[in-house]
Amino acid sequence: MAEIKIERLSKEFGTGEGMVKALQDVSFGVSGYVFTSIVGPSGCGKSTLLNILSGIETPTSGSVTITQNGGQATVGYVFQSSRLLPWRSVIDNLMFVQPEPNDEARDRCMKFLEMVHLKGKEDKYPGELSGGMQQRVGIARAFSIEPDVLFMDEPFSHLDAITARSLRLELHELWKATGKTVLFVTHDVGEAVELSNRILVFAAGGVLEDDMDVDLPFPRDAADDQVALAKAHVLKKFEELNLIAT
Amino acid sequence: MAWEDIVTSTALPAPPTFLARVRTFVATPRFARILSLVLFFAAWQFVVPLLPTRLIPLPAKVLGFMWDEVLGNTLGRTTVWEAFGISLARLGIGFGLAFVIGVPIGLLMGVSRAVENFFHDFVVVGLAMPSLVWALLTGVWFGLGTGLIAGAPIITVVLAALPFVIINTFEGVRDVPRELSDMASAYNVSRTKVMRHVTIPSLMPFFFASLRYGLANGWKGLVLAEVFAATSGAGWNIKYWYDAHRAQGVIGYALFFILFALFVERIVFQRFSKRVFKWRPEIETVAEPGAGLAQLEAEQLVTIGADGGIAI
Repeated sequence: MAEIKIERLSKEFGTGEGMVKALQDVSFGVSGYVFTSIVGPSGCGKSTLLNILSGIETPTSGSVTITQNGGQATVGYVFQSSRLLPWRSVIDNLMFVQPEPNDEARDRCMKFLEMVHLKGKEDKYPGELSGGMQQRVGIARAFSIEPDVLFMDEPFSHLDAITARSLRLELHELWKATGKTVLFVTHDVGEAVELSNRILVFAAGGVLEDDMDVDLPFPRDAADDQVALAKAHVLKKFEELNLIAT
Repeated sequence: MAWEDIVTSTALPAPPTFLARVRTFVATPRFARILSLVLFFAAWQFVVPLLPTRLIPLPAKVLGFMWDEVLGNTLGRTTVWEAFGISLARLGIGFGLAFVIGVPIGLLMGVSRAVENFFHDFVVVGLAMPSLVWALLTGVWFGLGTGLIAGAPIITVVLAALPFVIINTFEGVRDVPRELSDMASAYNVSRTKVMRHVTIPSLMPFFFASLRYGLANGWKGLVLAEVFAATSGAGWNIKYWYDAHRAQGVIGYALFFILFALFVERIVFQRFSKRVFKWRPEIETVAEPGAGLAQLEAEQLVTIGADGGIAI
């Protein structure tokens, strides 16, 4: 079972106007087959947190451990933009991140491309695909290494509403089929409520303000009363915490 | 009216008349380009005989000279094929040296601010230096080179191409997309794999630019150096015809230079570019900014006219 443990994590950036706090004394843990969303306004340190978790950035203080049954966990990452290598075909982009790029890995990549409805597009270059398709490749890439933990940083924020909705459904199916531990960053409360079992609310300056469970059956439809109620509840929390700009 | 008449008359517009077609063709850019060439040759053919000089040969004389050269019936010491072969070999050697020296310097400048500051002014001066200066200086240093491996032409190519190689490699290193290297590090991809599949491919457009501009500027210097400090090559041949007082030889060689530049630009570089950047959907716009060689080639002819004392 995958486990993420974050203890007293802080991160400060030096800018022209002095030090800026991106994360302040953040502690929480996530384990097992859980889809956790991190929501909050822009600049609340959500993406910084994922960057620290995946080793792209180092924290100022505090610690992070990500384990799988006590050993080292493998991590997949879906970024805000697809971050594909434009000079490599779709399948070669997936093969690029495979620790052992053998036939077995290739079959696995093809399987995940099929799951995100990109069968037949494996030899295309990213520039030949639409934005939605590119993001699907990014998702297939993350799943193709069969990670223990999956980080996703606002993966649908650049897409139109209809494409984003269909990708959310695909993501949910993939999550259900693979049973990963997912940490999903978004500024869209509706998206968080539709996808997650658990929602962490961050405030500006990188402070963890609230931690709530969403106990509703899947699949969730935004039009469903229960889902709308849950969303209203989270938004109310936002209001109480003064997170909504007026 | 029968319904067939109605369908025919509305579905198929009348074919354009001959006059309309001519009018459409006249409005195309191609027509203007063809017209300018035709008028140029007409003026050359009909106006030159009216001028009080016998030093401007008519088009037929120049084309006849070029045709003889191509067939190998030359009065000179080497044919156009041999002359260009020698010059190209020198260009290749010189540019190869410039690449071997320039790429490591550019890479180091890209990763270290101190190295960047150290070389910066030299590179700027190198970019601004007319290749004529290198051709003259190397002529003074190396003297008249008699063989294929002549010092002055080859070192001129090195000096003329080097700043272009350095500056493009340097810009390339600074331009390696951070988000892609971050992605690779999030997925724990090995350094060698990142170098091979992220860094080098993202440097390719810059290597390409250094090849294009370095070769163009190197060629420009090479031809001049051959005029001053060699006894063979395309530059030497144009001087040979100048010394022999044969204007058709000078003009003929100038046209050979233009044809050569067009061949390199349109055939070699565009094909190479299409191959290297086949992943780019907007390939046409990529190929555009490098009108390099043809453009520098044009400058080259002006330079010979202005500085080399060769009047065409």
